[in-house]
Order: sequence, then structure tokens, then C-alpha cells
Amino acid sequence: MWKTILRRVILMIPQIIILSLFIFLLAKMMPGDPFTGLITPNTSPSQIAKLRQEAGLNNPWYVQYVSWVGRAFHGDFGMSYAMQRPVTEIIGERAVNTLYLAILSVIITYVIAIPFGVWAGRYEGTWIDTSIQFYNFISMSTPSFVVYLLAIAAFGFGLKWFPTSGSVSVSASGFFGIIASRIYHIILPSILIGILTNASTVQYLRSGIVDNKLEDYVKTARSKGVPERVVFNRHILRNSLLPIAAFFGNVITGLLGGAIFAETIFSYPGMGKLFIDSVNGRDYSVMTALVLLYGILTLLGNLLSDIIMSIVDPRIRID
Amino acid sequence: MKKATIAGLVTLASVLAVTLTACGNSSSSSSSSSSSSTSTKKLSFPDTVKNDKTAISGGSLTMGLITDTPFKGIFNEELSDDNNDSTVMQFGSESLFKTDSDYKFVDGGAANLKLDQKAKTATITINPNVKWSDGQPLTADDIVYAYKIIANPATKSSRYTDSLANIVGMAEYNAGKANEISGIQTPDGGTGKTVILHFKQMKPGMIKSGNGYIWESAAPYHYLKDVPFKSLVSSDKIRKTPLFFGPYQLSKLVAGQSAVWVPNKYYYGAKPKLSKITISTVTPSTAAQAIKSKSYDILGVQNAQYASVKNTKGVQFIGQIPLSYSYLGFKVGKFEKGKNVEDPNAKMNNVKLRQAIAYAMNIDQVQQKFTGGLTFRIPTLIPAQFGDYFDKSAKGFPYNIAKANKLLDEAGYKKGKDGYRTDPKGKKLTIHLAMMSGNVNAAAISKNYIQQWKSIGLRVELTSGKLLEFNSFYDKVQNDSKDIDMFMGAWSLSSEPSPNDLYSAGAPFNFTRMNTTEQSKLLADIDSAASFNEQHRIAAFKKWQEYMNKEAYVVPMTNSWSVTAVNDRVKGYTLKVGGPNVWADVAVTSK
Repeated sequence: MWKTILRRVILMIPQIIILSLFIFLLAKMMPGDPFTGLITPNTSPSQIAKLRQEAGLNNPWYVQYVSWVGRAFHGDFGMSYAMQRPVTEIIGERAVNTLYLAILSVIITYVIAIPFGVWAGRYEGTWIDTSIQFYNFISMSTPSFVVYLLAIAAFGFGLKWFPTSGSVSVSASGFFGIIASRIYHIILPSILIGILTNASTVQYLRSGIVDNKLEDYVKTARSKGVPERVVFNRHILRNSLLPIAAFFGNVITGLLGGAIFAETIFSYPGMGKLFIDSVNGRDYSVMTALVLLYGILTLLGNLLSDIIMSIVDPRIRID
Repeated sequence: MKKATIAGLVTLASVLAVTLTACGNSSSSSSSSSSSSTSTKKLSFPDTVKNDKTAISGGSLTMGLITDTPFKGIFNEELSDDNNDSTVMQFGSESLFKTDSDYKFVDGGAANLKLDQKAKTATITINPNVKWSDGQPLTADDIVYAYKIIANPATKSSRYTDSLANIVGMAEYNAGKANEISGIQTPDGGTGKTVILHFKQMKPGMIKSGNGYIWESAAPYHYLKDVPFKSLVSSDKIRKTPLFFGPYQLSKLVAGQSAVWVPNKYYYGAKPKLSKITISTVTPSTAAQAIKSKSYDILGVQNAQYASVKNTKGVQFIGQIPLSYSYLGFKVGKFEKGKNVEDPNAKMNNVKLRQAIAYAMNIDQVQQKFTGGLTFRIPTLIPAQFGDYFDKSAKGFPYNIAKANKLLDEAGYKKGKDGYRTDPKGKKLTIHLAMMSGNVNAAAISKNYIQQWKSIGLRVELTSGKLLEFNSFYDKVQNDSKDIDMFMGAWSLSSEPSPNDLYSAGAPFNFTRMNTTEQSKLLADIDSAASFNEQHRIAAFKKWQEYMNKEAYVVPMTNSWSVTAVNDRVKGYTLKVGGPNVWADVAVTSK
């Protein structure tokens, strides 16, 4: 298995190179550049031209690309044009925020999705199943930002139970005080994310259970006189969890990409927001670094999924 | 250089908000549009909060900053070019000079300014009581250092301008040919209180704040001198623990999100009254809710949301008309080799056509419907807040379809069978309009105007068939794209209103590319030596405005109230111009 992992990792190298080339060219094809927004009566066009020249934006694209790759190899993604800070520093700061939000959202997603999927599958066709299916359709078809806005109006501004912006209170102090404040800030968004994004997990689980109930080995177990509880837990449920496990790697990487709508409405400075802002502001250095990071995460996520699968499902071996 | 902003950027900031507010706001905006269409009363707001109660000692105040991106956190006037940062540091950052309500420099601030026409100098004398928030006195070195930060190429400051190069030796320093700026002298030494600036040329605008020739901030030399210029912008001394000499000092910061300011005990003016000011970011889509629930003591109001919050109890609405305007510009040429070159055969190079287009715009009606009058039509390119410089007799282009039709008939644009006019040579005429997508109502507004122009027989289409995103818009406008015949843009002005940077023959920002001898003459007069005489300058401004409205290369469109919601417990807050720092006087009257 280690051999396979190594082979997969080596294969990623050309993939990443092609990806980076694409990212770079697409970024350069967008109209405008980081200095487009600097037009003011108090800024001299000559100064803007000079800054543009110094930033190397007038060089041919391949010169810019090579210098970018060269620096990226040393972990230097340059300075953000918009924030005037090193890109790695900004991403690091945002990644921490995103991690907090992602971890709690994942936990809440699974805490809701797994029992719902199990009940819906187990009591297929009953009112329990119908109501869970109904909830699924509602949560999938409701635009998430509408729910966020309603929730922030009701629980944030109305009842004042939760903070309405930011990732941590400016008055929080001490290690535990800051952690508590951070968690307080993510409760509402992560509950909402959890409630709204578990539909696919519920459906995977439900259909897995429904399918597995008809399998021969289940019938065999039943006819042997195995108690129904054991049949369900050991034979049906375990097999039905496989697709969820397979999906897990992608879920993790997907969440690191950030929750753009939640971050925007809750003024939560995470990765998703950073990405959108960098595209709008033509902040090339941040944008390309992020897309590259997402690309690598996706490749790693797929690898992780395969590894998880091979561990939980003895029928699959990746070698 | 007083917080001059880019109207384009303001629009950029609202781009993201649009998708969200469009939805969050649907219920409130529909109710407002039905009620507002009937009243045509002109809106007006006081510029100062009214509160007769006695202020309590101390107390804390919260302020919201409406933005959908975290603030950058560059707390230094020389390096920052961002409105959000200006808002966050307004409690501590104070201008060197005091101004009156006409933006004219007056004595009594942290330093006094004296111009000498003959010697071509400006002498800055520092008030000896002024101290930085670490207790160190403000010195001549601090003023010189501010110029160095701007002009040293290593800092990559975008604040360096051709106007600053009017100081002797500035260009040499900027080019790296000199270690000191020869035209900036400190006769009493670096720790003294006097700085003398030597200019190549004196300009009439120099008596006003925002003129661009004299920098109006200082940087703490003793504190920053150890930081190399190259790493200044990312250093903690700028980002986390900045020094100011204003009434408050930064005490706590969550990068990009919020900041806490506490009194600067070394402040030279009145003792600051609040014990704490907290400012934090608010997403545009939730800002209306924040006002209704009174979550902040002071929070800006977005015009599209005003109707839904205006009846909130316990909140006062104060307002100010910012130094900006939106306009319709006609492309009549190209920018070539550092000059605007007008093409006499350009499609839009017909004054009657331009005037007709302007007269056919029902601006008042549109703004009454979409903003309830918060945005209104303006008659000239100098905003009314500039007092005497504003031409009070200017009428602009009030809605007049009959006049528009007449102008087109006179100019030989004949109507065909399809109802559309051909150009004077009889060829099919299609005019391409470039418009930005920033505003929630932009699409509806564009349709309305196209309809209006259709009614006078002009076929107008949107460039690329759609509203343009901010970057694409300015990319096309700046590069004189062939797809643009006319465009709707906006400018924010500095408090010294000389139009030379925006409309002169050599100005790259003169996006219409107009360039006439008359125009050059009128513009030169505004900044000429004769204009040191205030009456002469006022007359020069008037002549220029008349010329611009006559030629209609640029049609003045609108300006808007900028409204702020202030909790009733706040005392002393004002949007008035002048005074060193309003925050020294702000207090609260209840816990």
C-alpha cells in the first residue's frame, strides 16, 4: 500500500504543474489588475505605472510564471497586493478561522445526518422516512444565504443570543477566553451549515441501508435466527457506512475551501471569503496561491478517500 | 490629502453586497418604492447629533464599519490608501492642520501653516504641546519622515504624486539620487518645531486642505526609524501598535475585524470623554438589521436600505453630502503618448447629440423612485459643498424631451421609418453605453435610460450587451475600448477641487479624451498665479463650469446623501468639516 501511495503522490507532481499553469493563465486573462482600483484624483497615474512595473506586471506571462513558480517552491507566494502582507501569513490566519468553522460544521453535519439516514433507511416508507425526506428536499432547495440572513436577524440582532460578525471578540482575553469567544462566534453559522448541507450524506446512508436490506447475506442472517438488532447493526449498517467513509476525504478538503455564503453574511474572515475578495480585487498572488492550495487539497482528498476505503473495506486493496 | 476616495472603489465594495442585499431586502424595498413615488419633497439631514442631556463621565461607544471585506489594517496615513483603514484609525489619526468649513487651513491645530508667495515656501510650526501617544513630543523629524515614507520607492506607497514632486529635491529623492529631500529644511534641527518646504512653483490651491502639494500628516520618526522602509508596511509598528497624536490610541485589535481605542492621555487638545471606543465590521446585507436592533451607537446607512430603517426609534439620522459626483462621459478620442487626442470624426463628437442625450435623461424621476431622493441630480461638475467655487447659476441638463428632439433635428439626425435616427450622413446610428453593475438597481436604471433615448430616436445598447463588472469597466474605459461611446462613472474629489487632474490635456483620468484649446486655457487659469486672488479663482471656476455644460463632453448626473444612524445617547458627534478631530468632543449620556 505504501508503494501505491508513493506512486500516487509522484503522479500528483505533473498534475500540479499543469494545474498551476492553468491557474496562472486564467488569472492573467481576467480584465484589470490589482492597481485598477487605485484610480483617484490624489494618485498619480505615473506612480501607478511605476508600481505596476515594479510588481513585474508588465513582463511577458511566462517570465511572470517562472518567477512565481520559483518563489512558490521556496514557500514564498509573494505579497498580497491588496493587503500588503505576505500571502502565506494571510492564508495562515484565515485557515485557522476556517478550520474552527469546518470542524464544528462537520461534527454537526454527521451528528444530524447519520441518525437521520439510519432512521429513514430502517423505517423506509413510514412517516419517519417521509418527514426526513421532506426535510432533505427543503434543506437542499432553500438558498442557504436566505436562511443565514433570517437566522442572523432572528438570533443575532433580534434575540441577541449570538454575535453577528467576526471570528472572535476584541475584548476576549486569555487563552481560554479567546477559545471560548471563538467557539461562541461559530455556533450559529456551523449549526446552519450542518442543518443545510447534510442532505447528500442522509441520502447515501438511506439508500445504502435500503439496498443492503435486500442482500442475500441479510436474509441468511435473519433465517439463521440472528436477532434483528444485530442484523441491522452488524450486517446492514456497517456496509451502508462505506460510501460515507469514501466521501469523507472530499468532505474534509471541501470544507477547507471555506463556506463562502456563511462567511460573507457572518463577516467571518475565512478562506472562502478570502478567495472571492482576491478574485474581485485581482489580487493575483493570493488568488493563485489559493487555487493551487485547493487543487492540491483535492488531490490529497481523493487519495485520503481511497486510503480510508481500503482500510474499512477489506474487499478493496489499492496495490 | 484628506481621505480622497475613489468612487469606483466604493462601487467595488458594494458589488458583493448586491447579490445578498437583493434578497435580504426584497420585502422592505418593495414597500418603500410604492410610498416614495408620490412625494417629491427634497430630503435634508442635519450634520450634527442633537442631545441635550448631560454627558456621563467615561462610558463606551460602539461603531460599525460597513464592509464586506476585512479591513487591511495599515494604520499609517502615508502608506494606507484605503477608506476602511481611514475609518478605523480616525479616532487616533489627526491631521497636522486645522481647517475651516471651506477646507481652508487655519491656525490652532497640531501645527500651523504659513505660505510665502515670494520665497515660494511653506513654513510649518508645530504646537509644542503636541505629543505622540507614547509621550514623545511631535518634532520636525516626524514631518520630514512622512514625506520620506511616501517618496521612498522601497515603501511602495501609492501616495507619491506629481504634485508632491513640486517640492524641491523630491523627485531626486524619489529616484534614489539623493539621501535627503533638499527642499525640506528643519532650521531648528530634527527635534525642533519648524519645517520649511521649498516649492518649485506656488499654486493657488495650497491654502486648502487636500491640495496634494503639502502632506497633512506626520509619522513618528523616533518610533519607526529602526524599521527598514521595505518592511514598514508589514511591520507590527504600523499594523498592531501604531502611534498617533490624536485623542485616542489603539488598545486592542482583531486583524481585519475590530479594534478598541482608549484615550490618549498625552492628547494636546480637550481631554477625550469616552473611556473606550470599539469599532467592528458589519456586512452590508445585515446592516439594516443592525440599525433596527440598535446594535451600534454609530453606523452608516446604505441608501437602498434607508427606507426600511428610517422609522427606527431611539436613533437619529444625520447626513452629509460627500465630495463626489457621478457623470455620463462621451468618448471622443484616445490617450496617445501622454496626451488626450480628440478625434473630430468620433461618433460622439457632436455637441448637439451629446446635449440631446443629456436632456433625455429623467434623472430626478429615477432617483426619486430608487432612492427616495437620497440621490439627486446635480447641475455642474463642481459639487455644491465647495461653496463659492460652485456655480449657483448652473442648470445642468433638466429633463426635456422636446428640447432633445429639437437639438437632434437641428444637427441633422433624421428619423427613419423604424423610429430610429440615422447619423447626419444617413448611416445607421447605434450608441454603446458602458455601465457598471455595482448598484442593486443598475439594471433597471440602464433599461430606463435606454427607453428614454429610444423615445428621442436614439438606438442605445449596452457595451457587451450587459452591465460590466468594475474591473472590466475601468479596463475598457481606461484603454479607450472601441466598444464604448459613452459611459457612466463616478469621481470622489479631494477637498481642493482643481479639475486639472481629471480634465486637462495631459490627464490620463480624462477618460472622454476631450482636449480643446479653450478647455486648456480655462483649466490653466484656475491654477494660475492670478488665481491667488480668490475672486479671480471663483470666476475661473465659474467659466470652466459654464464651458463644460455648454460642450457637454461630461454630463453631471448625481450626488447622494451619505447618512449615518446615531443612537440617541451619543453627544457631540458631527459630520461637519473642520476642527482637528471630532472624536475629542464625542461623549455618551447614558450607560
